[in-house]
Amino acid sequence: MAAEPLVRVDNLSVTLAGRGGQGGTRPVLSDISFDVAPRSVLGIIGESGSGKTVLSNALVNWVQAPLNIASGHIFYGGRDLLALPETEMAKLRGREIAYIGANPTVALDPTVPVGRQIVEKLMEVEPGIARAAARRRVIETLDAVRIPSAGRRFDEYPFQFSGGMMQRAMIVDALVSNPKLLVADNITQPLDVTVAAQIIRLLRDLQNDFETAVVFISSALGVVSDIADDVLVINAGRIVERQPAGALTRAPEHAYTRALIEKVPRLWTGAQTPAASHAADVVLEVRDVERTYVVPDRTTLFGENRVRAVRGVSFDVRRGESFGLIGESGCGKSTLSRLLSSIEPPDKGAIRVGGQDIAGLRGKPLLEMRRRFQLLLQDPYNAIAAHASIGRTIEEPLRIHGLASGAALKARVRDVMAEVGLPADLYDSLPVGLSAGQRQRVNIARALALEPSLMILDETLSALDQVEQARLLALFETLQQKHGITYLYISHDLAMVRRVCARIGVMYLGRIVELADNAAIFENPRHPYTRALLSSVLTVEPKPFLPETYLLEGEPPDPIHIPQGCSFRSRCPFAFDRCAREDPALVFDGAGAAAACHLADGQLPQAAPLIAAGGHPIPPAN
Amino acid sequence: MAFAIEFFLRRLSQGLLIVLLVAFVIFTLLRVAPGDPIRIILGPMATATAMEETAQKLGLRDPIPVQFGRFVLDVAQGDFGRSFIRGKQGGASGGSQDGAMDMADRAPVMGLIATALPYTLLLAGLGLVFSFLIAVPIGLAAGLNAGRWQQKLGLYVSSLFVSLPNIWVGVVLIYLLSAKSGLLPAIGYRNFAYAIIPAIVVAVEMSPVLIRAIAVSIASNVQEAYFDIGQVRGIGRNRMIYRHVLRNAAVPLLNVFGAQMIGMLLGGLFVVEYIFSFPGIGLLTINAVFQRDFPIIQAVAILASAVLVLINILVDFASTTIDRRLKF
Ligand code: SF4
Repeated sequence: MAAEPLVRVDNLSVTLAGRGGQGGTRPVLSDISFDVAPRSVLGIIGESGSGKTVLSNALVNWVQAPLNIASGHIFYGGRDLLALPETEMAKLRGREIAYIGANPTVALDPTVPVGRQIVEKLMEVEPGIARAAARRRVIETLDAVRIPSAGRRFDEYPFQFSGGMMQRAMIVDALVSNPKLLVADNITQPLDVTVAAQIIRLLRDLQNDFETAVVFISSALGVVSDIADDVLVINAGRIVERQPAGALTRAPEHAYTRALIEKVPRLWTGAQTPAASHAADVVLEVRDVERTYVVPDRTTLFGENRVRAVRGVSFDVRRGESFGLIGESGCGKSTLSRLLSSIEPPDKGAIRVGGQDIAGLRGKPLLEMRRRFQLLLQDPYNAIAAHASIGRTIEEPLRIHGLASGAALKARVRDVMAEVGLPADLYDSLPVGLSAGQRQRVNIARALALEPSLMILDETLSALDQVEQARLLALFETLQQKHGITYLYISHDLAMVRRVCARIGVMYLGRIVELADNAAIFENPRHPYTRALLSSVLTVEPKPFLPETYLLEGEPPDPIHIPQGCSFRSRCPFAFDRCAREDPALVFDGAGAAAACHLADGQLPQAAPLIAAGGHPIPPAN
Repeated sequence: MAFAIEFFLRRLSQGLLIVLLVAFVIFTLLRVAPGDPIRIILGPMATATAMEETAQKLGLRDPIPVQFGRFVLDVAQGDFGRSFIRGKQGGASGGSQDGAMDMADRAPVMGLIATALPYTLLLAGLGLVFSFLIAVPIGLAAGLNAGRWQQKLGLYVSSLFVSLPNIWVGVVLIYLLSAKSGLLPAIGYRNFAYAIIPAIVVAVEMSPVLIRAIAVSIASNVQEAYFDIGQVRGIGRNRMIYRHVLRNAAVPLLNVFGAQMIGMLLGGLFVVEYIFSFPGIGLLTINAVFQRDFPIIQAVAILASAVLVLINILVDFASTTIDRRLKF
């Protein structure tokens, strides 16, 4: 690395001012120093709260109160960015130094077509360019990130883009002005694994073509080690280690890095998996459930589109079992969870709990059914009223169902609070200041107070960091053993599903395409889509299914225009002529596993021998 | 394009239904309210037989739905009936004759409204212009500078204006600008200058709502992620404000305008026109109420509801055009 660095960060420290300007300051970043070589990719990895997002903001000199740059310099092209007057800095932003954030869906004005906003930016940072030329260049770049029919997409609005498409558009927005440095802050976090894998590959290719240096910040070690040349590990505001990506996972030097690598969940090597339970009776029986939404179509007079969100789903969940439903966003998981928790009825089919169809229930039996059937959602913030004390919040369902009152009520609430690990002195406090994990515990306590027999966990743990997630999973396990609760996990987090679910259904476009036990799904999946999902997981361990063989292009077709024949046909690497004619049925084999694919068992490629990501064999974990 | 056609077809037909319903309610209320309209038409001296004869002739003894049907057919041809009181030449003529009266010499309601309407439109337009002149700078400054003195200024100005009754504002302005200094004329209408003081009164009443709506919608958009990210992307702060924040803030503003301000404006105009003897629809209506001139009251009420419905349709259309996520 003889070349002059593009960016040199020198002893950067950032502090957070206490409330109201008093109460002292707290360091967020301390003595950060590093170089970024031109045309290189520097990965920065840290857990949430490590200060990595503040660092990414500092790199574009966008640190705002109550954060404050206490000391240090960021040299770029011989000048200290932090000392530049705002007008000079504004000239660099977007032109030479570009930034992409974690949440692409809120990055643009929601009321203006995406393409036009990128043109606006381009014309702002390159004042000489003619509008037509700018438009041409934006469409070309949209093409380059493989946004299908870029010309038409140019005029669509942000809300018409999926998260992955939007993140591609933001990459276009960043690269269209040929910046020298791109700061990418956690850009794959909100995306499905398949899409995240595509975005990483794309960024790597583009980085070569555009000769841009990238600072890639993420909390997922698998992602960073996949894309970066060098990786910098940051903990509690300090750099603890810097190494080339391969060396870091192979031979971490710092104890913190080792702990970090240790914590990355494994899907194959030494994975913990639950045992399947075939003995117990069936609690939940889902039969041929369908749900279609009718939405108005803006382009034709009185036109309507039929969105087929769930198209004939059947499965059984046994008592005391954990059942998992996985799939990309838009596959119908969320609709199915609404149907199961009887927020809305299915158009067709039956959902039976303990043999009784819940569709026909009214009044008291419905209330009783709802009691036994609790839904926990992803967002722990909106579900809790801000003005009621925590105790009251947990009491509420008990009151509604008239299950307890007076002292018994209080005692019951204290019991469940203790059970989920909420300190008793929180009983009278308001939920302000609770962490996301604690809020989720309040929700769990609320559900648990009713002694449910089945809990639906719809992305319940996705918003939490890995440590808190692990704690809650352990809590769910204890509750399961103690009360015999059945769980239905709905999630896109494959590592979590691998760890807790005994039986797993894989959904694609409103259908279950594969249904089998944990081991069969992860070790010998029979549907190409399941394999594609597994191949796109970014981990630090060797994978049996390699992206070269299975990685998907693009995104699922929208559920309005579902392909004829096999609905996975448009993305399946193994599609053959029969797939276009015939829709494969979900056929069970003798062992209770099923896949909806015309290919017979032996016709898919062999699972790869386990070789570490990046081609280095990894030492056995010890 | 298809969307626009479908939108207007659907909304106009719904709107028509609403207006018809409102019309029916008003029509019925006025007919079941105490006070025989024939007595009002013919005056206190008319004989019972003359009254019965007139009532038969005017169809007032038919069932209300039949009368309403006839009324709607007339309205469809632009005929809102004739005033009970006002003569063709202007001035009240009710009760001057005895014996069966001749409705033909009473003024058509449509004509009365057509004469008064331009004055009201002038006053309303000028009032809106004034309130925007007051509210836009104050509201914008307050919205863009949350937590600073501009925000307090906005709060103080709007609280002050809210607490002033418009009658009082009217009287004070007449005293200061007209009686004391002779700068502007105040009572009645002879030329444009007569509209200025009443328009200020209207503006004082309307601007607090507007100031708050502008301040709140601007402030919430400035907090949106796209505003900061836009600047990091390389677009200047001012351009972000003029091209994006204002555009997004327009949607809630339009809604406040359609849902709240137009209603306030209509109400405010009645009072203000009455205070200033301003010869618009408001004065016409208030006089009609005092004289129990039912045809005028019902025509104004129905037209007002139609205007409200129409403006809300336009507001919704503008909103969906600006923000394509909205559905109606
Ligand atoms: S049926 Fe054909 S298209 Fe569908 S998954 Fe199997 S091979 Fe692929």
